[in-house]
Amino acid sequence: MADPGQHITCQDVVELVTDYLEVALPPDDAALLEQHLNFCEGCVFYVDQMRTTVQTVGRAGGPDVPDDTRQRLLAVFRDWNRS
Amino acid sequence: MTGTGVEEHNVPSPEEADLLVRLRAGDERAFEALVERHHTMMIAVARAYVKTHAAAEEVVQDAWLGVLKGIDRFEARSSLKTWIVRIVVNNARTRAVRDARSVPFSSLASAHEEAAVSPDRFRGPDDSFAGHWTRYPRDWRSLPEEVLLGQETIGAAMRAIHELPDIQQAVISMRDVDGWTGEEVCAALNITPGNQRVLLHRARSRVRAALERHIDG
Amino acid sequence: MIAYKFLRGDGTSVFTGFRWPLPEGGTPGRWVDAPVDPCRSGIHACRLAELPLWVATVLYEIELAGDVVEQRWKVVASRGRLVRRIERWDDQLRDAYTRMCADRAHELALGAAPPLYSWDAVVEPSVPEGPALLGFVAARIGEERWGVQGYQGERARQTAWLVKHLSLAG
Repeated sequence: MADPGQHITCQDVVELVTDYLEVALPPDDAALLEQHLNFCEGCVFYVDQMRTTVQTVGRAGGPDVPDDTRQRLLAVFRDWNRS
Repeated sequence: MTGTGVEEHNVPSPEEADLLVRLRAGDERAFEALVERHHTMMIAVARAYVKTHAAAEEVVQDAWLGVLKGIDRFEARSSLKTWIVRIVVNNARTRAVRDARSVPFSSLASAHEEAAVSPDRFRGPDDSFAGHWTRYPRDWRSLPEEVLLGQETIGAAMRAIHELPDIQQAVISMRDVDGWTGEEVCAALNITPGNQRVLLHRARSRVRAALERHIDG
Repeated sequence: MIAYKFLRGDGTSVFTGFRWPLPEGGTPGRWVDAPVDPCRSGIHACRLAELPLWVATVLYEIELAGDVVEQRWKVVASRGRLVRRIERWDDQLRDAYTRMCADRAHELALGAAPPLYSWDAVVEPSVPEGPALLGFVAARIGEERWGVQGYQGERARQTAWLVKHLSLAG
């Protein structure tokens, strides 16, 4: 982020949030983001929504492996196992 | 399945070491467990390179054969899952070149910047408080638990993931569905940490927006 | 090193939710250890000059030890313990500070030539959101008038008010 000076906007926060949650922001930038969260409830809600999104994605899991795929791969395994 | 805790990406985990032994001994259940664990994410990775789902399935099936053929020679200089994904990536690249697809990660270099949130949600530059929310996002913590944990919301997240551009889908699948660390994703896909974060950011932002639309109705 | 730390009303950290061991009677809270990895972990605290940036519900004096790193907007240390609660920072004083910032914001906005009416209009609706927002609004209007120096000047005024009313310095 180019030197943001003394403060950042909500629009900045929504672009920085991933780096913040990844702990990849430089310390001063993270401090500016936290100062903003300290007075901006909207951004507190947004960052929380992001955390919740990550948790929800984790619960989503992937679709199960389709049965026909599973059968095909088992056949591949059995062929390999025989040789 | 999500990963928890810190895992080394340059050695097999204890769980993987066990599967390795059993697989080499011809244990079919070990192979099934590996498929269950990784197949969906492998498809997501392949889709980042090849044009169609059918092509991705072929790439991944070949990759599984490559895993089996190479399993005795696997020297455990990386985790098993990293090695498996690298096989997918190599196969997919070869296939992509054969199918004459353009460089898959061109989206990383795209000039078009995706905004995480539509600019109309913020006050304009001529406003006092320029760049601040016109209307706050909702406090999801005030929602009943059933809404966030329920199948409908989870389904909305799954749909959103499947609608992501391929490479974003691969990264968010690996990171947030499968619990890979950022370093592991970079090692497997051969991308820089910065690129990985950008892709993760775009993917998460889109999924959040989709969940917001679902929850707000 | 002595520094300051704002917490939520329930004694948890504003950003991490960490539950701090609180002082009891005249006895400081137990020491908390956290290896310093700037912005990843460590005990975060502020100097007097940053009080307006971090205002929250309760205020403590904190003693820092071990590795202490002074950053631009905060201090990070590997050890800390809450020494005493600053009792004067209560609901009444928070409201008085909020009102002070709001009055100052009006003064700055309406004292400009031409007056900054759109900024002035933001002040009263912001009051229910509390002292942190109003401090920012006043400083922002200072910035509108005089740039970075205006912003920093307002923050310095806010610090001086807090130090005086909380009897912190010396």
